[in-house]
Amino acid sequence: MDSYDVSESTPRQSTSSRPEDYFISATFLQKRLESVRKQTSFIPPSPRRKIPHCSQLQEDVDPQKVAFLLHKQWTLYSLTPLYKFSYSSIKEYSRLLNAFIVAEKQKGLAVEVGEDFNIKVIFSTLLGIKGTQKDPEALLVQILSKSQLPSEDREGKVLWTGWFCCIFGDSLLETVSEDFTCLPLFLANGAESNTAIIGTWFQKTFDCYFSPLAINAFNLSWMAAMWTACKMDHYVATTEFLWSVPCSPQSLDISYAIHPEDAKALWDSVHKTPGEVTQEEVDLFMDCLYSHFHRHFKIHLSATRLVRVSTSVASAHTDGKIKILCHKYLIGVLAYLTELAIFQIE
Amino acid sequence: MDETVAEFIKRTILKIRMNELLTILKAWDFLPENQLQTINFRQRKESLVQHLVRLCEEKHASLNDAALLDIICEDVDLFDMKQFKNSFKKILQRALKNALTVASKHHQIVKMDLRSRYLESLKAIVFKQYNQTFETHNSTTPLQERNLGLDINMDSRIIHENIAEKERVQQITQKTFGDYPQPQLEFAQYKLETKFKSDLNGSILAEREEPLRCLIKFSSPHLLEALKSLAPAGIADAPLSPLLTCIPNKRMNYFKIRDK
Repeated sequence: MDSYDVSESTPRQSTSSRPEDYFISATFLQKRLESVRKQTSFIPPSPRRKIPHCSQLQEDVDPQKVAFLLHKQWTLYSLTPLYKFSYSSIKEYSRLLNAFIVAEKQKGLAVEVGEDFNIKVIFSTLLGIKGTQKDPEALLVQILSKSQLPSEDREGKVLWTGWFCCIFGDSLLETVSEDFTCLPLFLANGAESNTAIIGTWFQKTFDCYFSPLAINAFNLSWMAAMWTACKMDHYVATTEFLWSVPCSPQSLDISYAIHPEDAKALWDSVHKTPGEVTQEEVDLFMDCLYSHFHRHFKIHLSATRLVRVSTSVASAHTDGKIKILCHKYLIGVLAYLTELAIFQIE
Repeated sequence: MDETVAEFIKRTILKIRMNELLTILKAWDFLPENQLQTINFRQRKESLVQHLVRLCEEKHASLNDAALLDIICEDVDLFDMKQFKNSFKKILQRALKNALTVASKHHQIVKMDLRSRYLESLKAIVFKQYNQTFETHNSTTPLQERNLGLDINMDSRIIHENIAEKERVQQITQKTFGDYPQPQLEFAQYKLETKFKSDLNGSILAEREEPLRCLIKFSSPHLLEALKSLAPAGIADAPLSPLLTCIPNKRMNYFKIRDK
């Protein structure tokens, strides 16, 4: 698959970074600054993205091996580059993190009722979860409960899963030295307390920084449009949007579900540029949905807050939660999220 | 000082354990330390409390001060003083709500959403107007006030138009929903099978004969109150769509809508 067309350099929306934000990690961010300065001379007319399609790399991935990534809700974080991380040391990291977790839990910092300290931490790599060969290997960390019975060989239940990846991370990779490993997107499933402990260990060990990755309405709209644009053999879920109305004395949620075939028909009618999605098309797609709604209910959805979008490809919530439903577009979804994560790090 | 405030302070202090009382009063920081030192904390609690209330009276304690004391008692964690001072306003609002439930004799006001930024108007609503049924459209008052803070250079005719428009919306809303509290309803669902017709761009889905199949669901802890507030908030046009306003009339909340 050809390299990702991230031609825009200025922020798509929202505030630009303040100078104070840069004084976190001098080496890494100095390089980032240089890169940004180089890029700001070119301002494209409007952002555009390629419609996700099944990548060559992904074709080689065993769908069985990545099946566990689908149909699960992941909480998203951005992560700054890891300093002096080595893939050859992951067995060592497993042991160190294991010891750290047990120590933290015994300190009583994250005690849950009925907590079992019999756990096992496994670090591994996820092959094929990348955009180009330049992207580093995706990393998987799991906490399993150790089987109670000594005779049983098989591994216990998975208590917590976290994985790190970088899909088409060129813009970030170019700016860091070899001492750094770029895995800007982190996804976690399991108890918050475990996420916090593991996050702490990573931050201490690799001098990096996690930050929750929220998804604003602007990006949710883009996701809805892009995922609607994806060719599907059959639909497994309805296309649905959820808005939250802020002004009422009581909260009001408006859910707007549209048959996926009809959503696709609407998109096809709006879509002009083959293989790509443009800002104008996203805006028009959303405006059509708004106007159809307004015609019936006289309510301006655009004045409310879009909090969730859901399609047969994936669903995303503004709080930074994602669920990927379709193996075919796994990389495409991760690519967009990686872009958001990198943007947050900058 | 209001009778109610005095009563509130008295009840709050009565709840405090004797061995914690001085610490709490110091944390409250309303009565100065040198004054606290003159108080005999060994006397009988009743007379001590009376003495303290008198001192508060002399210092003209307000409802805010009383609320602050109440919240300190609820949550005596003096290690968190800094955080507490930072979240003062939130704590104050919570305290006010607690205070009102205790001090007020009118139990129907218990369930109120005190999210207004205007504490004075809240106080006025509750203490002076608690004989009336609580009118929910008062929650739009802060919005109106906000909108009326327009640029003074703006044409005065535009300002007048805005006010007139807001009044019109209020009147229509009141006509539609009435002044009484709405029946409690939590959701309404609409199955739509209607053709797409857009005023934006005539060509979109123009050839398509089939309707768009949509399922719309409105949900809220109190749906009708929420819908009532949409037009005043500028989120919906007034008058509201008949699809929404017919809910209380038809006493149903599942609808199927098709093109005629």
